Amino acid sequence: MSAAKRVQQWATFARTWHIFDCKWQDPYQSAHVIKKYLMGMHKPIYHPMNDCGDVVLCINSREVALRGDDWRQRAYFHHTGYPGGATWTLAWEVHNKDPTMIIKKAVYRALKGNLQRRHTMQRLLIYPGEEVPEDIMQNVTNQIRQFRPVPTRLDHIPEDEVKQFPKVMEYPEDYVLK
Amino acid sequence: MSFLTRASCLAKNAILSTFVRSISTTNQLRLKQIHEYKEGSTLIVEATSVPSPNTELLVRAEKIKDLTPAEKPEHTCYMCALDLDVKHTDVLILSQFVRSDGCMLPRRITGLCRRQQKKIGKMVSMAQKAGLMINLTPSYCKKDPKQRYAYKKFNTYFDEKTIFMRNIPKPVDRFKR
Ligand SMILES: [Zn+2]
Repeated sequence: MSAAKRVQQWATFARTWHIFDCKWQDPYQSAHVIKKYLMGMHKPIYHPMNDCGDVVLCINSREVALRGDDWRQRAYFHHTGYPGGATWTLAWEVHNKDPTMIIKKAVYRALKGNLQRRHTMQRLLIYPGEEVPEDIMQNVTNQIRQFRPVPTRLDHIPEDEVKQFPKVMEYPEDYVLK
Repeated sequence: MSFLTRASCLAKNAILSTFVRSISTTNQLRLKQIHEYKEGSTLIVEATSVPSPNTELLVRAEKIKDLTPAEKPEHTCYMCALDLDVKHTDVLILSQFVRSDGCMLPRRITGLCRRQQKKIGKMVSMAQKAGLMINLTPSYCKKDPKQRYAYKKFNTYFDEKTIFMRNIPKPVDRFKR
C-alpha cells in the first residue's frame, strides 16, 4: 500500500467534527440534517453495521426558533414510572429549564429506535451559547449549512439604509404622520 | 382662552424666537403642517403641505418596463402589480405600512386591495411577534424581545403559507352536491 493510499484510508475512516449553528433554526428540521452526519449517511462507505458516524457540535442552542405558536402548543411527556407520575411540560418551560434539551430530544426522535441510538447520541455535543471549550473547538473541520436564513432586526439595520431603501407605499396628500 | 393661548405663544416665542408653534416633536414628518402667525391683534392659523419622504424612492410597476402587463387587468393595486414575494422577515418593506407604534395602517391610507391588506397585516404581526420590528412598538415596550414574558421571549418563525390557510379545504372535507 502506497503512502497516498494509506493516508486516504485514514481519512476515509477518521471521525470528522462538524459544527452547526442553531441560531434561528427549527430544531425539528435541522435534526434530520444533523442525524445524517451523526450516522455517517453522507459518506459513500455508509452501512448500518459500519461505525462511520461523525461528531456534530451544536452551538447557540438557546437561540433555536420554533414555528408559529409551538412554544406554548408543544408538550413534552415524561413518566416517572409511579402511578400518577405522568407530566406534560410545554416547550418553553423545557427550554427555560435546559436550553439544550429541545435540540437533543429532536435529534433523538429523528434517529431510529435501535440499539445504536444511544451511542449515536453520544457523538452529539450541544452548547447553549457560543462558548465552546478550546480542546473541543480545535477538532472542528467542517460547518453544516443552516436550514433557514437568520433574519435581521430592523433596529440592527443602519438608519440611513432604512431611509434609502426603495419605498412601495405613498402616503395620501392630507395624511398626518404619527 | 385666546388670551391664554396668546400668552403661551408669546412665552414660547420669547424662548424660541420664532412664529412657528410646534404641535408635536415630529413636526418635520407631517405632510400637513400647521403654522400660526400673529399680525397685530389677529391670529392667523394656516396649514401647509410638506413633501412626502417616500416620493423620491417610490417603486411602481408602471415605471418598470418588464413588469408592465400587455393588457390592463381590472384589478391593479400597486402590490399586486409589483408581484413581490414578501416574507415576514422583510422588515424594510413591512415597516413602511406601520405607524411609529408598530400598528398597521388602515386600508384607506395604504391603498392596498383587500387581499394584500390582509396579507401585509398578518405579516406585520408575524414580524412583531418574532421581535424583528422591536423599535416600532408602543412607548411602554422594553424594546428587547429577550425581556418578554414566558414563551414570548424565545425566537419564533412563521410560515407565510399559513396566512390564507383557512380558505383551503382539507382533503377529508365533504361538500354538499
Ligand atoms: Zn391587489
